[in-house]
Amino acid sequence: MDLIGGLVDLLQGGLGNLAAYLAAHVLLCLVPAFFIAGGLAALIPKESVTRFLGRKAPRYVSYPAAALAGSVLAVCSCTIVPLFAGIYKKGAGIGPAITFLFFAPAANILALAYTGVAIGVDLAFARLFLSLAFGVGIGMIMALIFRRADAEHDRQTDDLFAGRGGVRRGVVIFLLVLVALLLSGTLKIGLLTNTYGQVSLPIAGVQGLEEALFRLVPYDSSRGEEGVTAQGAVLIVLLALIGLSAWRGFENVLEGFNRWTGMTLALITSTLLVAALGMEPGAGGLTIRFPGKFFAVTLALIVLAWLARTRLTEHERRDWLWESWRFVKQIFPLLLIGVFFVGVLRQLIRPEWIESLAGRNTLLGNLAGVAFGVFMYFPTLVEVPIANMFLGLGMHRGPLLAYLMADPELSLQSILLVSAIIGRMKAWTYVAWVALFSTAAGLIFGSWVDGAGLGRIAAYLAGFLGVLALGLSIAGRRGGERPQPASQPVTDT
Amino acid sequence: MLTIKILGSGCPNCKKVEAVARQAASGLGLEADFVKVTDYGKILEYPILSTPGLVINENVVCSGRIPTQAEVTTWLADALG
Repeated sequence: MDLIGGLVDLLQGGLGNLAAYLAAHVLLCLVPAFFIAGGLAALIPKESVTRFLGRKAPRYVSYPAAALAGSVLAVCSCTIVPLFAGIYKKGAGIGPAITFLFFAPAANILALAYTGVAIGVDLAFARLFLSLAFGVGIGMIMALIFRRADAEHDRQTDDLFAGRGGVRRGVVIFLLVLVALLLSGTLKIGLLTNTYGQVSLPIAGVQGLEEALFRLVPYDSSRGEEGVTAQGAVLIVLLALIGLSAWRGFENVLEGFNRWTGMTLALITSTLLVAALGMEPGAGGLTIRFPGKFFAVTLALIVLAWLARTRLTEHERRDWLWESWRFVKQIFPLLLIGVFFVGVLRQLIRPEWIESLAGRNTLLGNLAGVAFGVFMYFPTLVEVPIANMFLGLGMHRGPLLAYLMADPELSLQSILLVSAIIGRMKAWTYVAWVALFSTAAGLIFGSWVDGAGLGRIAAYLAGFLGVLALGLSIAGRRGGERPQPASQPVTDT
Repeated sequence: MLTIKILGSGCPNCKKVEAVARQAASGLGLEADFVKVTDYGKILEYPILSTPGLVINENVVCSGRIPTQAEVTTWLADALG
């Protein structure tokens, strides 16, 4: 085999994957998602959620609150580790702490939006609901198994969780419009994808450019690869410009807005608008289509600008932009590198391997998905292009979900971190439960995709819930030994 | 002399907090001892739920966000009594 030629092929595969991702999927979903994540971090006081996670909160409050904290507060590890330790040691205990830990990486806004656009809305929803059910389930099981150790913590007061904080209505509306922006750019419903008008511009050479791009970045749609269109090339250039101007405009935004900030915002706006257009190069020139989402995105952007001006304070606007930019700086470079290597990897993996291992929804296939998830560590969000590659190579959606459930929750790094806080025994018990639950999730979702009758899925779920309920009732009967925290004199300070 | 501790694993926000605190201290003409705490075990000894945290003379004054220089100036003045 020609070594140089092989290397060029690999490099081309990586670059092609990168270009295709930047041009096609990323923009209309990830750009708003980063701004939502920034908004959640900057505008929602953590106390508004953590006050439900105190020692005295009843179980039906603390578990959902832990899940909410996971999806709203924890996009980055700065929050995950201290909050996890806080809930465990000084707050609601190991159960809600585990729920929080499980839910945070799988169901934050960035992960969900990205999964929905790159792989499919069905998997995004499966990820959300199953993470919720499993997060709460595993949390309760852990609380049962380690009931005694947990009771020792009960004697401490929970001043840490006494802080109160509310979210202003203006902030809520602002965040909702951001979500609307995300949805209007990414939802695939007729109202948004139908074309409501088009213009033809007599620009020659666009078609030639596109053909040149296809030659430069060759692709094979049968393997799930995508090419770079002329529109994609424009978007990549715009993204690079945003990156350059954000370095001057967002890096120091906490000290105040400057000219570069305005320019960066203008560039981001135009990027979103260009991405929402449809462009078709033809022999005579360039045809630009205006689909419904173009108008929806425009409307959402206008409302957002108005809300940001009137409803947010100067300080909140700065914080919002800074937090968004911080997430971009933290996550985006690793994502780019990850996507590149996924492209390289795709050239090396034979579809037959994936096909034979996890091509069908079998127990072995699901276990393989989980094992890969546990032993591989990928930076935040990189699990998504990896999963997409497996899908393109013929992996069944069931094992794929099993992989997606296991990968972000479990990595050697996170296991070590968790065991430092709760002890090795508890950490590995947690890992075992996650592996078991992920395999079950993959099997159930896979059989649903295969069109198994509702009866069979209901039987699976019922069996699963039955085991859980049995365990809980046994523990409930023995729960009398548990020391009552209320009997402790609590001093209010 | 004041001891100012910055709790955080070294993420960009912790660096911002340190910069803000240093500006506030030099604005007041204070001499302060700046300590960066990056070890999670030590960070968790303080009652905070998210980093970055700012600690003045062993009192946590702020956590989970970046304070403004004016806020830090007030806290420093309070700590001086």
